[in-house]
This record gives sequence, structure tokens and C-alpha cells, in this order.
Amino acid sequence: MSAGPLAALIRQQRKRHADGLRLAALSAAVVGAGSVLLLGLSGWFLTGAAIAGLAGLASAQAFNVLLPSAGIRLLAILRTAFRYLERLSGHAAALKALAAIRPTLYAALAAAPPVQGLPLSRGEASARLVQDVDAVETRLIRLSAPWGAGAAVAAGLALAAPAGWAPALVVALAAAATVLSVRALARRLTARTGPAIQQATGDLKDALAAYAAAAPELRVYGVQERAAAEIAAKGARLDALKRDAVAAAGWLAVLQAAILGLAVAGVLALAHDAATPLAAMAGLATAMALEGLAGVGKAFEQEAGADAAADRLDAVLEHGPSLAGAQDAPDRPSLTFGELTVEPGSRLVLTGPSGVGKTTVLERLLGLRGLNSAHPGIRPDERLLCGGQEPDARARPAFAHAPQDAAMIAGTVRANLALAGPHPDEAVWAALADAALEARVRALPQGLDTWIGENGERLSGGERRRLSLARALLRDAPWLLLDEPTEGLDAATEALVVARLDARLKRTGQGLVLVSHRPAPHALCDQQLPIAPPAAIG
Amino acid sequence: MSASLTAQLEAVARPWLKASARSGGRASSAASLWLLADVPAAIAFAAGLALAIDALPRGLAAAGPWLVVLALAAAARGLLARRAAEAGARAAASVKAQARHDAVASVLGGRVTGGEALSAVVEGVEALDGHVARFEPARRAAAVAPLLLIAAIAVATPVAAGILLATLVPFGLVMALAGGAAAEESRRQFLALERLSGLFLDRVRALPLVLAFQAEGAVTRDLSVAADDLARRTIRVLRVAFLSSGALEFFAALSVALVAVYCGFNLLRLLPFPVPEQLDLKRAFFALALAPEVYAPLRRLAAAYHDRQAAEAAALTLAALPAPAPAPPAAAFGAPPALRFQAVTVSYEAGEAPVLDGFDLDIAPGEVVALLGPSGSGKTTLLNLLLGLAPLSGGEVSIGDQRLSHLGSIAASVAWAGQSPVILPGTLADNLALAYPGADREAIQRAARAVGLDAVLDDRGGLDTRLDERGAGLSGGERRRLGLARALLKPAPILLLDEPTADLDAASEQALLPILREAAHGRTTLIATHSEIVAALADRVVRL
Repeated sequence: MSAGPLAALIRQQRKRHADGLRLAALSAAVVGAGSVLLLGLSGWFLTGAAIAGLAGLASAQAFNVLLPSAGIRLLAILRTAFRYLERLSGHAAALKALAAIRPTLYAALAAAPPVQGLPLSRGEASARLVQDVDAVETRLIRLSAPWGAGAAVAAGLALAAPAGWAPALVVALAAAATVLSVRALARRLTARTGPAIQQATGDLKDALAAYAAAAPELRVYGVQERAAAEIAAKGARLDALKRDAVAAAGWLAVLQAAILGLAVAGVLALAHDAATPLAAMAGLATAMALEGLAGVGKAFEQEAGADAAADRLDAVLEHGPSLAGAQDAPDRPSLTFGELTVEPGSRLVLTGPSGVGKTTVLERLLGLRGLNSAHPGIRPDERLLCGGQEPDARARPAFAHAPQDAAMIAGTVRANLALAGPHPDEAVWAALADAALEARVRALPQGLDTWIGENGERLSGGERRRLSLARALLRDAPWLLLDEPTEGLDAATEALVVARLDARLKRTGQGLVLVSHRPAPHALCDQQLPIAPPAAIG
Repeated sequence: MSASLTAQLEAVARPWLKASARSGGRASSAASLWLLADVPAAIAFAAGLALAIDALPRGLAAAGPWLVVLALAAAARGLLARRAAEAGARAAASVKAQARHDAVASVLGGRVTGGEALSAVVEGVEALDGHVARFEPARRAAAVAPLLLIAAIAVATPVAAGILLATLVPFGLVMALAGGAAAEESRRQFLALERLSGLFLDRVRALPLVLAFQAEGAVTRDLSVAADDLARRTIRVLRVAFLSSGALEFFAALSVALVAVYCGFNLLRLLPFPVPEQLDLKRAFFALALAPEVYAPLRRLAAAYHDRQAAEAAALTLAALPAPAPAPPAAAFGAPPALRFQAVTVSYEAGEAPVLDGFDLDIAPGEVVALLGPSGSGKTTLLNLLLGLAPLSGGEVSIGDQRLSHLGSIAASVAWAGQSPVILPGTLADNLALAYPGADREAIQRAARAVGLDAVLDDRGGLDTRLDERGAGLSGGERRRLGLARALLKPAPILLLDEPTADLDAASEQALLPILREAAHGRTTLIATHSEIVAALADRVVRL
């Protein structure tokens, strides 16, 4: 386990839920040892009984049957009770401990510098982040497993020892050989196949998304089959990688089984001088102890995966809690774009051809981009100031943003509007009315509490955009940053939105920084700033 | 919620999984057979062990051969496990290939959109892996293997075999009574965890938004509440969910203990009741060594149960994919036809508001019509309707003297240009030629020049420039030009343009206008657009 912040977080959580985890470990140990003892003791009892039975009635009656048979029954009951306890307490404690991981991770992600945190929120990286958390979870739930395996080996050693030191040594060596070889093999396998499988999965998703977007075109030109074949080829590559991984992991099973066979044969051979009941006990115990290690290969594979996951999560978690001190930003800051400074309450439109970086300027104001961002914008050395300072996370109270992609969180209309802070229902409806969405939301089956799906998929593109606008209007900030607020609206709705926006701005005295390809909203602004491509300036 | 979920699993997920598992075919049976082949190996191991112990008092030489047998049997079990895993992986690969093929056909039917939905398709297909590779073979083996093992024990001691059989019956009973509830609770638990993961993923993806609104504190609190809530509810659920694993453990341990005690007393000849057999060490030990194996296949099954839950959840996603659109019939029009929409209604799902409702429009042969309207007003749906990618729920579309309800689709008679033309791996020439496989090189060259792709031709290797499917090396504007070149190349009497200039600035839009005009020349043309400037190209503007 790494020594990073994730390890510290897990340690802290383990400490808090130590009772449950200890119970789970203890239970696992009882189960592991119990299985070995049950069979070993049974073997000793049977062999002893056979010898006594052959020796005649007298010695049969002299044979103490009560103790072993009672022991066997006790072990059977213990094994059951403790297996149940192990699973229950292990899962319960792990779940409680885990409840802390996602929120902590999220807080750290939010506090990370944008160049580091934001790439993790997109596409495959975000999916991997979720998988990484799952991998760490699995390991936490399996914390008790080594105790079970360890107790099984210890019990095996204890039952082999009466037959002599040599059989006990064989058990120890076999257990060590199993653990070490399987660990080495599993690590090598994971290091090789894990990243390749991840890459192949990403390629497959990309290809599917690209072709799905072009469905009508594929159909018109009759090339669906070709596209499907391209996707199938990527799928086949992923399947082949997974099959390779299974085949390689299969050798772990072969290795473990071969070690088990050799160890049992070796133990019996070396115990042939000892009393036969002791040899029988040693032989069966060896088999059960090494079988108790069967899960170890899988565990090591998961372990190696979880280590890689933990390293990636550590990189996020090293960012402490968020900069809370948002107070030092001025209430109503002025904004400076190069030579141009606009006072609070001004209305500015950024102009320029597509792709020149107008959206980037807004994101820089919000501290959502690093200064060394490779994306075009106003030139990296060009001054962009908010209240006379380089904008970063602390400048965010000054802005209410309606982003270009009109992003939504999965949830209700209300939950999305609540991102703008807590507001009474009247204010919410007023903002919706100004975004020309009030009637539509009132017509929804559950009104504000209607579920709008992932990224607002149950709304049309235009509705999403207006909801995004309403959310920005609802936020109490001196500057509105609106990125294509009327894209996808028909002319009448657009005119309505623009008129209400104008009235609202007059009422609130808020400033506006607008990006829009469409002429209608430009009428809102009294100043414009052309954004030129970096090459043209330099 | 959970009741309807169970019903859904019964009605949709299970039958779907069953049907899809069929494409695993021989490999899937092979995996079960390899697992069953483990039975003789386990018997050989137990027999070797019993005979070796029996022979041990007579010296190492007497026991030696049996020690070799048991070591070989153990190694064979490892090899068989590997073969079973490989056969399972092979079966999983073919089931996944089939499921993926179906899913892709549905996705290319154009009704599944959005990156997350597509991601779910890929992950759903992958979630079938464990179910096919491990759970199904384990289930089939678990139905037979315990009985085979008991039969082998019966050869040595019928009474011990009877004892084992007798423990299987109450085990089955308990599973029948409590197993359902346990499975239900454990499924609920699984889905709750999935939902928590989903919530986390969603909020991670919304990070820029959350940061801009300084809502990170609130979102972190939400996540924390959801996780705590889940942990609290889960512990209650787990008590029931783990009942089945407790029952399995109980009967497995009980069966070993009963066999051991019975055999011991039999060997001592101290049984309080008469039995028809007198055991010796060999036979008793064989029964004891094999007894734990009787429940091993069931244990393997329990271990794979998680795979089944994952597959069931995925099956719900995959089974809900719409059926793929049927292949379009061959081209049927020589000259530009008239298009006539009469009371056309399109609704994707019963009970939902239709996207188009009673839409009427007459288009003369060769006329250029622009459809103007906000997103969601049905422009794209209208184009998809003609291609068979949206359902004609009511009304009729006449194309010339033919009817869409008969044809299903007129895709073969249509040329198309959209916002993001598809690029297949291959050269630029290949990519243009896919619009009209009969085109010669000169025609391709002409089309490329007509749309102003000359710059690419000259700078980057001409028509033989290699493109990958991400369109490496082509800008957004160049991709659009590629799409328009295709539309020029295909001699189709109908042209559909889907937002040909969306997201372009005024200058780039202006540059495309003459090409659009050229492409529309002499064809019946429908242009879906937001842009008044593009709409001005048309003979007539229709506002939706």
C-alpha cells in the first residue's frame, strides 16, 4: 500500500471502524483455521479409529471418541457462524469506511489546480476515476482475506508438526512458494495487460461515438456495414486482450495446483515414519491449508490494480480542502481585457471567428484554466484581470456563468437551479420566466421536481440552454458570463429572452460579458472587444 | 421501485441474457465440460490420498505410486481449471461479439445519442463477460458435479453417500426459501452501489459547472449524505443477503462432520444402529477426502454470483436499445421527385408527446426548401424520417408516386451533408468515393476541387492523404467540405442538409454558401438550419 494521502485516509477510516474490521479479520481467521482443523482432525480420528477397530472391541472401546467427534461438530458450527460474521462485519465496516472516500476525493478534485483537475472530469479519465475508487473499495472489503489465508497456513503448520519437523517445513515452503510466485506472476500480468485493456476500451468507445454521430450519413451512403466492421474490429481486439489475460492467469491456477500436489505427496512421504493417524492429519491439513491460498492469485491481481489506482487517486488527493477565503475579492470588481477595462454594470460582447478562443476568455475569468493553457485565447501574456488581480478560484463569486455546452447535473430541475445557491420559489420562477422557460416547467408532470435525466437528456437542446440561462440569472453575482445563450432558439423566443434579459440587467445593475454568434443578443451590449487569433497578434 | 425492478429483471433481463448466451455455443458447453472433468481428477486425488495413507504403514515403497497419483491428479486439476477458464473466455468473447454487433446496429440506427449512453453500451457489453465466462459454466457444473461426486463416494460407502445426499436436500430447501430473499436484497445492494458510483461520475463530469457556481461544498455534502445513507441502509440488507452464504457454509461443514463421525464410529464398530456395510480405512478416508468437494461447485457458483448481477443490470440497458432500422430499398427515382408530407406524426415512444404532430408540406420537384426552427422542433426528425431512422407514426409522405410507408426509407436516393461528416480509416479518395463507388478518379478530383479541398490536396499528399477515423489533420471546416463533396459526388435526386453551418462564424458560413447552392442545384432539397443566411439560399422557407 502506498504511503500517500489515500493510504492516510484509509488508515484513518480503518481506525474509526477498527472494531468491525477486527471482528471480520478474527472471523476470517477462525474460518480459515477451522476448515483445516476440521478436515485434519477428521483424518486423524478416522485413521485412529480404523487402527483401534482392527485391534478388537477392547481397544475400540478404549478409543476416546467423544473428544474428537465433539471437536468435529464444534468446528463445523464455528465455521458457519464465523463465515457469516466475517462477511457481515467486513462488508459493513468497509462500507462505512468507504463512505468517506468519494466525498473527500471530490473535495480534493475541486481544490486541484484546473489544469490538473478538469482533465479528469472528461471522457475516459472520469470513467477511470470511478473505476479507481471501485478498485480501492474492493480491496477494503477484502481486508480480512489475508487473515483467513494466514490462519489456514498456521493451522496447516500446527497439524503437520506432530508428524515431524520435515512435513511442517514442507508446508511452510509450499505456502511461501505459492505466495511469492503467484505474486510475482500476477504483478507482471497486471502491469502488461491492464493498461492495454484500458486503452482498447477507450478506443472502442471513441469509435462507437464517432460513428453513432454520423448514423444518417452512413445510411445514405450505405456504409453502415463498413462502420460496424470497424467497430467490431476494435471490439475483437479488446476481447483478444481479455482472453490473453485469462489464459495467462490460468497458469497461476496450474502453478498453485502443482505446488499443492507436490506438497501433499512430500508431506506424506516425509511423515511415513510417524504414526499413521498423524501422517493422515498432516496430509489432509496440508491440502486444505494450500487450498485456503487459492484466492491469493486473484487477490494479488486486484492488489496490483488497486495500487495503480491508489497512485492515481493520490495525485488528486494531495490537494487539500478548497480555498475557502473568497472574501478578499472586491464586491463589484472591474474587468480588464488587455488595454480595455470595463466597469461594473457594463455590457461587453466578445467577437471574433469560431475557434479563436472567446469561450477560453470566459473560462479564464472563472479560474477554470491554467495560465499556461495550451489553448488559444487572448495571448498568454495578455493581461486579463478581475478587480485588478489575475482571476483564479477566488474571483468566482463575481460571476454567474451559462456555459456553451449548457451542462446539467443528473437530477431534477430544482437540483440544477440549486447550484446557484438556495433561493425561495418565487425567485426561481422569476428566473425561469426571464429565460422564457416558466410555462414549459409548469407544464412538466412534477414541475420543478421533474427528473431531467443525465445531462438534461429529457429536455430538448433549446430547453437545456434556457435552463442553464435561468440558473445563471438566479445566481447573485455582479457579472453575467453568457456563452451562446440563445443558440438553438427560434427568433421569437430569442427576442423574448433578449428583451427580458435587458429588463433584468437594468433592474439588477449586473454587468454582462457575452459570447454569441447570433446578432440579436449583441443589441444588449454597448461595448465590443474583438478577440484575434494568437498568430494574428504575434 | 424495487418490486418493479424485480419484475423487469424477470421479464426482460433474464430472457435476454438467456437468448444472448446462446451465441456462446460450443465454447460455453466446453467450459462446463472442463469443469465437470474436474470431478474425475478430484476423485483420483482423493483415491490417491486414501490409498497412500492406507499403504503408509507398509513403507514408502508401497505408498510411493499413490503419492505420484495424487500429485499428478492435483496438477491435472490446475490444468483443467485453466482450460475451463479459457473456454469460458472464448464463449464470453463470442457472446460479446454478437451482443456488440446487435448494439452497434441499433446505435447506427441513430436513436441512441449522447456520449454517456454510448459508453453505457460498451460497458454493458463488457459486463456480460463474467456471466458467460464464469457464472453460466459454474451453474451448469453445479447442477451435476455434486451428484457425480456423491456417486463416486457411494462406490466406497453408500451410507456416507446417503448422508451427503441428505444434507443437499435441506440445503436446497433453505436456498429455495431464503435464497430468493437473499438474492433480492443482494441485488438491491448491488444496484444501490451502482447508483452511488453513477452519482459520483455525474458530479465529476459536471466539475467545471460546479466550480463556476462554487457549489463544490454542497455537492461534496450531497455525496457524503448519499454514501452514509447507503452504508446505513446496506447493513440491514446485508444481514439477509449473506444468509445464503451462511447456509452454504453450514451444510458444507455439516456434511464433512457427519461423514467423519459416521466413518469413525463405523471403523470402531461402535455404531448404535445397524448398517449394511463395514468400512476399512481406504474407503472411509476416500469418502472423507472427497466430502468437501461436494459443496465446492456450489461455492464456485456463489463466488460468480456478482458477475450475474452485473450482467443482469447490463442486460436491462442492452435489451432496451431500439431495434435497428431495416436496410433501405434500392434507389427508385430517376428525376428529382416531388415530396409531400400529409398530416405526418412522429413519436418515438408511446405516451410521450410527438416530435411532429400533423405536419403538412408540399415540395415541388427540384425545389429547395429551408426548415427553420429551434432545436427540438423536429427539423432533424423530419430528415431522419425520410431515411427510416425515425418512425412514421401517422400520416403519409409521398415521394413522387411512391409512399414512404411502403418504401420505409429513401436513403438510397438521397445525398447528405451534415455537421460532422464521418471519416473512415483510409485515404481521402476512399472517403470521397464511399458516397458513390462508381465514381472515377477524375470525378472525385472535381468534387474535391469544387468544395475547396484543394489546399488539402496540395499540402498533405493530395487525394492519397491517409485519414484515420478521428479525421486527423482535417479542421472542422474541412470536414464539412468533405461532406459536401460527397453530396456532390453522389448522383442522387434528393439532397438533405442537416445544419450545414452550425457553430461556424459568419465568414466561414459565407464561404460555404456557394458550395451549398451548387450542391442543391437540380435536386429536390431540404435544408434544416438555424441560420437565416443559409435559409436565404432556399426557394422557400418553412418555419417549424
